[in-house]
Amino acid sequence: MKKFFAHPAARALFALLLVMIIGSIFNADETFFKWGTHRDTLRQMSTYGILACGMTVVIITGGIDLAVGSVLALSAVLFTKLSIHYDWPPAAAVAGALAGAMAAGFLSGTFTARFGVQPFIATLAMMVFARGMAKWVSGGEKVSTYVQQTDGSFSYEEPPAIMNFLNSGLFNNNIAVVTILFAISALVTWVLLSRLRWGRYLYAIGGNEEAARLSAVPVRAVKLLAYSYSGLLAGLAGLCQAAQEMQGDPEAGVSYELTAIAMVVIGGTSLMGGRGGVGLTIVGALTISYLEKILSINAVGEANRLMLTGAIIVGAVLFQRSQNNA
Amino acid sequence: MKHVFALTATMAVGLLLSGCDQRPGGTSSGGETTTGTASASGKTSFVIGMSQCNLGEPWRVQMNADVKKAAEAHPELTVEFKDAQNDTLKQRAHVEEFARSGVDLLIISPKEAAPLTQPVAAAFDQGIPVIVLDRAVTGDKFTQFIGADNKKIGKAAGEHVKKILGGKGKVVELKGLMTSTPGQDRHAGFREGIAGSEIEVIFEADMNWLEPDARKEMESALARFPEIDLVFAHNDPGAHGAWMAAKAAGREGQMKFVGIDGLPQEGQAYVKQGVLDATFEYPTGGQEAIDSALKVLNGEEIPKTVTLKSKVYTKENIASGGEVLE
Amino acid sequence: MLLQMSDISKGFFGIPVLHGIDLHLDAGQTLVLAGENGAGKSTLMKILGGVHSPDSGSILIDGQPVILRQPLDAERAGIAIIHQELSVIGAMSVQDNLFLGHEITRLGMVNRRDQGRRAQELLRPFGLGDIDTSRRLETFPIAVRQLIEIARATSRDARVIVMDEPTSSLADPDVAKLVQIMADMKSRGAGIIFISHKMSEIYQVADQIMVMRDGRHVATSAAAEMSPQALITNLVGRELTGQIPAPPPLEADAPEMMKVSGLSVASPTLPGQWVIQDVGFSVRRGEILGFSGLQGSGCSDVFHALYGSFGRRARGTILSETIRSLPRSPREAIAHRIAFLPADRKESGLILQMSVAQNITLPTLPKFSPGGWLSNGDENRCAGGYIEALRIRCMGPRQPVRFLSGGNQQKVLLARCLETKPILLLLDEPTRGVDVGAKHEIYELISQIRKQGTTILLITTELPEMLGLADRICVMHRGHISNVLSRDEATQENILAAAMGGEAQSA
Repeated sequence: MKKFFAHPAARALFALLLVMIIGSIFNADETFFKWGTHRDTLRQMSTYGILACGMTVVIITGGIDLAVGSVLALSAVLFTKLSIHYDWPPAAAVAGALAGAMAAGFLSGTFTARFGVQPFIATLAMMVFARGMAKWVSGGEKVSTYVQQTDGSFSYEEPPAIMNFLNSGLFNNNIAVVTILFAISALVTWVLLSRLRWGRYLYAIGGNEEAARLSAVPVRAVKLLAYSYSGLLAGLAGLCQAAQEMQGDPEAGVSYELTAIAMVVIGGTSLMGGRGGVGLTIVGALTISYLEKILSINAVGEANRLMLTGAIIVGAVLFQRSQNNA
Repeated sequence: MKHVFALTATMAVGLLLSGCDQRPGGTSSGGETTTGTASASGKTSFVIGMSQCNLGEPWRVQMNADVKKAAEAHPELTVEFKDAQNDTLKQRAHVEEFARSGVDLLIISPKEAAPLTQPVAAAFDQGIPVIVLDRAVTGDKFTQFIGADNKKIGKAAGEHVKKILGGKGKVVELKGLMTSTPGQDRHAGFREGIAGSEIEVIFEADMNWLEPDARKEMESALARFPEIDLVFAHNDPGAHGAWMAAKAAGREGQMKFVGIDGLPQEGQAYVKQGVLDATFEYPTGGQEAIDSALKVLNGEEIPKTVTLKSKVYTKENIASGGEVLE
Repeated sequence: MLLQMSDISKGFFGIPVLHGIDLHLDAGQTLVLAGENGAGKSTLMKILGGVHSPDSGSILIDGQPVILRQPLDAERAGIAIIHQELSVIGAMSVQDNLFLGHEITRLGMVNRRDQGRRAQELLRPFGLGDIDTSRRLETFPIAVRQLIEIARATSRDARVIVMDEPTSSLADPDVAKLVQIMADMKSRGAGIIFISHKMSEIYQVADQIMVMRDGRHVATSAAAEMSPQALITNLVGRELTGQIPAPPPLEADAPEMMKVSGLSVASPTLPGQWVIQDVGFSVRRGEILGFSGLQGSGCSDVFHALYGSFGRRARGTILSETIRSLPRSPREAIAHRIAFLPADRKESGLILQMSVAQNITLPTLPKFSPGGWLSNGDENRCAGGYIEALRIRCMGPRQPVRFLSGGNQQKVLLARCLETKPILLLLDEPTRGVDVGAKHEIYELISQIRKQGTTILLITTELPEMLGLADRICVMHRGHISNVLSRDEATQENILAAAMGGEAQSA
């Protein structure tokens, strides 16, 4: 038993299993056993999950990215502004939004890697700055399909096809497009971390930055790319968020970074860096999302929900930690 | 020029403090000052300070827009806006800054009553007329309170629901935030409105006034209940999020959606588009605030409290600008 | 009898680590506890320190049984432990570290003046009476920090003092001071348990020697009755010939490989000051050139400068066929085929979470990842070769390097250096914290490497090692080379005299 729990993946899976058992007991008139419930859970976790993939990469270097929630909003606003108000073709609007988000990540990375600002501070600044950018781009209002004309009246525009597509489901509406985007993000992140030289460098920097530097690891470039990648994925999450709301809300994604960090940590990736992986993050994301879903289908009130979620996050993290010391 | 105003304002304050009542227009009973000092010095232009508690909500963005639009019709008015970003202490500082810079009149939409009563009273005692919008402050040290009645609006919504469902049906209620007064009032009013009918609320959940959260909660309701006749959400984004969830499940045609707020680019537009069956306007009072401000600045007397009338927008009356609720 | 540990056994996860160990220590005695890494010395001392509880056995102090459940219990029982890894807090001042948990207070407030005065008294025997005790500890060199740690442990009037490799960062004059202080403590009736891998030191301090191997007690006897040869045999369980195998002599006609001149590094904190200044030397192909000096003399800084660690803070010229300019970064250094084995393998050498193979291939990863894609097979094959050639004892190339013993970790770092196919190899303390058996293996490896024509620059604080391995020795004093000694000229006395530079003459 002790040996089984020696690996963080085993502990993470055990926590997920516990949550699933709770779901089976409190199944809300068997709602928990319907496929639709699971499809919805997988869809709802997608934006958080995409953020958590980028967050995993940054955390493995021993850093943190607090800006992802704001960058998500920036991307959502850029995407809707470009595609609805300026009628850009889908590919251009997507590219524009992703480029903006990636630029935000690149800036965080520049301050961290080039100027040695602590990641917490650099990305905290970017969190505030990107939120401001999102409000500036949107004029402080939601960018929706109702476009204000010069005379002050509103006209309704059909949502662009790309947004409808991102909001739709595939395979007879059995799996959401955003879930597939999440799966692709996770797969790409897995390839980066375990198949590419760059991934090895990420672990090396998180494990021992000085040793990595003396081993000719291009520390600055690797970190810069890590934060840019996190920005890019936050941008992708922003597209998904916008499509699911059919609007670009400059207030979207507030505190999403904390959920993403919780998903990474519950999975068992160490905040100290150098250890962990995206597979663990997926398990962590599933744990939190299923927990939320179970509380939702049982219509648990907000106050109890917050207390339960907080208690379970702490419990799961303690569980991860307790075995690490043995 | 501004300095001159400031100087005259300071002199006027000095006069007030020394007890010399030289203000034209006099005072109403009980020491309720209703007029400013500006017209006494024969001013032809006025500076109004507008302290907004949070521009994160579209409804409040709309309030500022209404104030701005109303003021633009009067070239003698200049409005300075400050956004407290949902921070009580920040708003308190804003009020104090306005008072210090000697604005001719203060409009405030406070975040909460208790902590802001004192600074508002201080500004009022300094001789600055204060118009309080939406949420009240305690005591009587302000010039006028303008607000709508959430409970009444909730009740009207309940009665409307009773009417369109023929007094019978299964309803989902998506609540704003049960720890906030508007959430509590809209909930209580709604229940009062449907009382005595065979309408059954089968699922209720907090959605924090947020569209993504409303969509999540609605998905749980849809998974759990095969039969839903109507969704009542405490705001229009919530109702829209619920509609998006129903649409994704292919069930949006089986149920009706009712929301509150009725902003032009949100609720009204959704009604036009056929997403919502009805929305109940929660008026911002921006126009009314400027009307009152002009009266005060010109030395007229105004009532202590103004309760705004709400409007209902339905498919039938949306083209004609809605119907005023009595 | 001051301390008696009887029949101590301990296992982790069912794997026995200590088998019924007995240990006796008298007042006024120094017991040297010897054993290779993994022999169980540290576990035994952690039991004495209250970190681990024994599965069986008893501990008596002055004949009274004591139960040590936590470090505080040990401290109350009069046991002080100086750990191998520094346990001082760098961000706190010297005096705050000295009196942590025992602050000198007046009316509940820390009395800084008294504390400062007391700190100076405590540090004076270590030759540190003049340092500013309100400065943050991390601003001092590592040797000073280690001395302060020792001073802290001895300040608590402990009866049993355990020193786990206290000299690993100390140069000889500092070691001499420590020996003096140990004599003082003994005369006050304390007993000392001393752990060391340095042969010369062991015989300098030991009254009794106790040898452990594989968790078992092997032998205990008075120091005079156990010859160094017998000690080594006890330690490794087999006969080892000679202490340091002298490498084959350098070929007489070996050509000059590199000439360094004007090598200087500016101080990062004090403008106008230099860490090393105007260092110049030349080295022949296949030569082993030693660098020796007291702490802070700049030996390591010469290596870092040659390796590009200081970036633009370093300047100087290199004349060589292959290395045309001073590297500006480790990356450039590796491109010039310079390899560097840093002194502190856990701080700046290994990535502990990563595997043996991943550690070995880190600087040469592009070779194992064509187009950016990792080829794990190639990596493991390469690492497998080194595991065999360097006799790295591990469960395979995929085992995390943190589970390896100190000697094997050091071999992993050496493998990493060799994999860059260096023509110049910088070895900074290659045998620090390594047990005797592994030391010998490393000496043999160094001989083999020089035989292949690789030039080696070597730093070691163990003078016998230096004398045995180096063809010539550059002795440094305060950032300058004060003397260069040939193999024939070099003796411990000559090296020390040069290392102490001007001070030795004025004294």
